[in-house]
Amino acid sequence: MGQNEEILKLFARSEELLETIRRGKQFTEELLRENERLRLRIVQLEKELLDANGEEMARVRGENDQLRRRIEWLERRFGEVEAENKDFVQRYLQVEEQNEGLANLYVASHQLHSTLDLNEVIQIIVEILLNLIGAEEFAIFIMDEEAKELIFAGGEAGARRFPKGRIPLGQGIEGAVAARKEPYRGDGDLMNQGSETLICLPLKLKEHLVGVISIYKLLGQKRGFTALDYELLNLLAGHAATALVSSKLYQGTERKLRTIEGFMNLLRSH
Amino acid sequence: MAERKFLVVDDSATMRQLLIMALRKLDGVGPLTLVEAFDGKDGFEKFQAGNFDLVLTDIKMPNMDGLELIGKLREVNQNVPIIIISTKGEEADIQRGLSMGANEYLLKPISTIRLKEIIGKLFA
Repeated sequence: MGQNEEILKLFARSEELLETIRRGKQFTEELLRENERLRLRIVQLEKELLDANGEEMARVRGENDQLRRRIEWLERRFGEVEAENKDFVQRYLQVEEQNEGLANLYVASHQLHSTLDLNEVIQIIVEILLNLIGAEEFAIFIMDEEAKELIFAGGEAGARRFPKGRIPLGQGIEGAVAARKEPYRGDGDLMNQGSETLICLPLKLKEHLVGVISIYKLLGQKRGFTALDYELLNLLAGHAATALVSSKLYQGTERKLRTIEGFMNLLRSH
Repeated sequence: MAERKFLVVDDSATMRQLLIMALRKLDGVGPLTLVEAFDGKDGFEKFQAGNFDLVLTDIKMPNMDGLELIGKLREVNQNVPIIIISTKGEEADIQRGLSMGANEYLLKPISTIRLKEIIGKLFA
């Protein structure tokens, strides 16, 4: 009896143990299922995250491309505007220089025709050569048509170079320029044989020679003749000739008028 | 902007006319009264008779040259800006002009663009 009870107790315990083991197995199986579920969920979430990142990346990449294209366009436009600005500055300077040149031409022309006095005309030519051209040594000659000679009329250091004050037509550079009625330029001119003359211009009224201007030396600060200088000299050659002829005609007329007035007064007194 | 008065002293009428043309086109200086003088003596007399904001003078002139004029101007006025405009371009000439009291020294033939720049700076 006692032995049977012992066996029954052992059996009951084994049943409990089996039940415990069964529950443990069941719990383990549930754990494994949950683990599998969670693992799947993680994979799913990782996939979702990757997809989301990919879309964001694509969007950002698109925006970057747009911005890069915008920057490239702006840089190109900036370069174009900068080039335009440089061009405008260059043109502005050119216009300013042209204005300066026109002002010089205007003043020279205006001054030359502001008087009918021969000495004043010569003085104005001197001022133009000195102040506007920058000539340091130069001479102005007037044609004496009867003597066929050039007469020194004014200039800086011209009297020292031409102590006689007269140059026969055809003699020296000035005489040759007067005879040919063609300008002479010291750079490469056929007549230039070690001469100090930088430029020599005939003063002509149409084909009538009125005189000659010669430049021998420029001011120290002046590097050479500019395009504007040549324009000024061309203008000077024409306008100075006109002004000189006008003043000579006016002087002649004045002289004749005084003679006639004197003659009339003489007639009236008798 | 208050009216300014400039004195232009040069024995060359051509030069005076050129300077006056350039000065009339000055920007940013305000209304201008320009007075001409034909030598240093005339310049000094006109300076004393008026209240000038700037003097532009040549050096080589009859009766009273530009250096003497500057000396006299500085005796009566230490502040008025003086610009020399001269053909004399040696370093010694420039130094002499500046030491006499000139503020600037410009060489002939002048660039009116440079002249405008200098005046613009003086009245900036």
